[in-house]
Amino acid sequence: MMGRSRHFFVLTPHEDLRQTVLGWWPATEVRWTVFPSGRQALEELLAAPPDLVLVDARLPDMSGFEVVRLIKSENVYRQVPVVVVVDDAGCLQGRDLAALELDDFLVRPLRPVESAVRVLLAYHRAARELDANPLTKLPGNTSIIHRIQDLIERREDFALGYVDLDFFKAFNDAYGFARGDEVLLMTARVLVNSVRGYVQGIQFVGHVGGDDFVFIVPEAEVEGVCQRIIAHFDAIVPSFYDPEDRERGTLLSVDRQGRQQEFPIMAISIAVVFNRGGQLQHFGDASARAMELKKLAKKNPRSTYVLDQRS
Amino acid sequence: MPETDLRTEYQGRLLAVKELPSLPAVLEEVNALVENPNSSTEQISKVIAKDQVLSAKVLKMVNSPIYGFPGRISSIQHALVLLGFNVIRGIIISTTVFDAMNTAMVGLWEHSQGCAIASSTVARVIGCKDPEEYAVAGLLHDIGKVVVAVQMPEAKQSIDELVRQEDLRYIQAEQRVLGFAHDRVNLWMCNHWNLPPNLKEALAYHHKPMSASLYPKMAQVVHLADFLTRLYEVGSGGDDQVSALDPQVLRALGITAGAWEELLRQVEEAFAEL
Repeated sequence: MMGRSRHFFVLTPHEDLRQTVLGWWPATEVRWTVFPSGRQALEELLAAPPDLVLVDARLPDMSGFEVVRLIKSENVYRQVPVVVVVDDAGCLQGRDLAALELDDFLVRPLRPVESAVRVLLAYHRAARELDANPLTKLPGNTSIIHRIQDLIERREDFALGYVDLDFFKAFNDAYGFARGDEVLLMTARVLVNSVRGYVQGIQFVGHVGGDDFVFIVPEAEVEGVCQRIIAHFDAIVPSFYDPEDRERGTLLSVDRQGRQQEFPIMAISIAVVFNRGGQLQHFGDASARAMELKKLAKKNPRSTYVLDQRS
Repeated sequence: MPETDLRTEYQGRLLAVKELPSLPAVLEEVNALVENPNSSTEQISKVIAKDQVLSAKVLKMVNSPIYGFPGRISSIQHALVLLGFNVIRGIIISTTVFDAMNTAMVGLWEHSQGCAIASSTVARVIGCKDPEEYAVAGLLHDIGKVVVAVQMPEAKQSIDELVRQEDLRYIQAEQRVLGFAHDRVNLWMCNHWNLPPNLKEALAYHHKPMSASLYPKMAQVVHLADFLTRLYEVGSGGDDQVSALDPQVLRALGITAGAWEELLRQVEEAFAEL
């Protein structure tokens, strides 16, 4: 039925729920790890995420929804499907379900066949998650375009940052793709954590592909976000070079013409486009304008951001 | 993740990769900062850097394969940026407070803090880049002692007795009881936690720094800092002797007689602020 064996977590203090789920599938198909409280499960969750989490809304030490929020707000754990067990579906009403990103829920008393099937479906649905960037798990192009187009149509003001790395190709050529991927994963974390936690209002980070990323924040916040991204990236990126290159401050690699050349340590360039008073008509307007600005940002070999000055 | 335990010669018992203790005061302080949206990563990393166990956990997490860049990050502040407050909060919530640690190893916390400060001072005086990374190595240099004290309290008692009865250094007593000492435990933990090679070598070679092959400088600095911390009697590393200073280390670090006096003055000043 399921190919290889899956590892699911169940977080519940209740013996009856534990007994029920353990009876759903043979242990050769699904291996369950049981945690009686949220606290005990958290470290395991963060260190070795399972294939699915079934969480009791009634945990002794925290709300089951708090566990959902923690998992779903981190790009590296977000793909793990989470199903909540509630006493009454009414407790889901009025919650912001789009933000919660809950995969499914079960209501007590659990119906034997239906419950097992729904949990399995949640697992498969998550496995089909197509749009996420396979490397960083950040939302990909489809989500990015939808998000921008939606904001444009609702005539909402926003700042859209296009991010890419300078001298990434030289790094990739010199150290190989695996090392390049490490830098992309680091960049994703820097973007996520430079946007989130500081910004009030709209916030979004997406991965277009390769070393191209986007973020969306309110207009008033965008300069602070750009400065934070640059400070964090510049501080951390030297750790990804070999000690002798880091010491020298340059990397020996071949340029696009195949000639041996010295390249600076990677930098990050950001081009920011604004939507003020509904001036953008279409997603294409935003990306075309951003490409022009990016050329400006690229003239500086150091990390830099350029704001669209067009009024 | 497969967990490989470390077999000791103490009744053939194993050191297990499992929950390590942490100190309550630091946890509360970090928690308060993390809850406050106006806190900076600098503030939080300074507090975390005071606690060896929490520091180790944060570095372990950011260097785990889940994040995709194992063995790259050795700065607490960089780790905070990459993990984000959400994950830090998760690490703190999951860290069980283990009051027994203070009694298990009296004075080790102060010794570790002293060694951290001495390491960054030495690094700064001899002109190393990123002296704060040296502080992390100094802070964690004796973490292997904590692991043994917490997981095998009876073995820890035998070590203490040997130190008292035969006037041995702690490291010699460890070798007699376990078949190896905390530097070996450090190496095992660093491997299991994917810590970067510079930290790994500093932790595993701080007693024989000239044998470190990749990053001898960090091991040499921690070796010297450990010596200075014991010389000035900051905290206790488990015995009351001054550790042996390898004279080759001073030469390797380029510390002349004049620089030595300046170094002592600065370390003394730094200790005074503890």
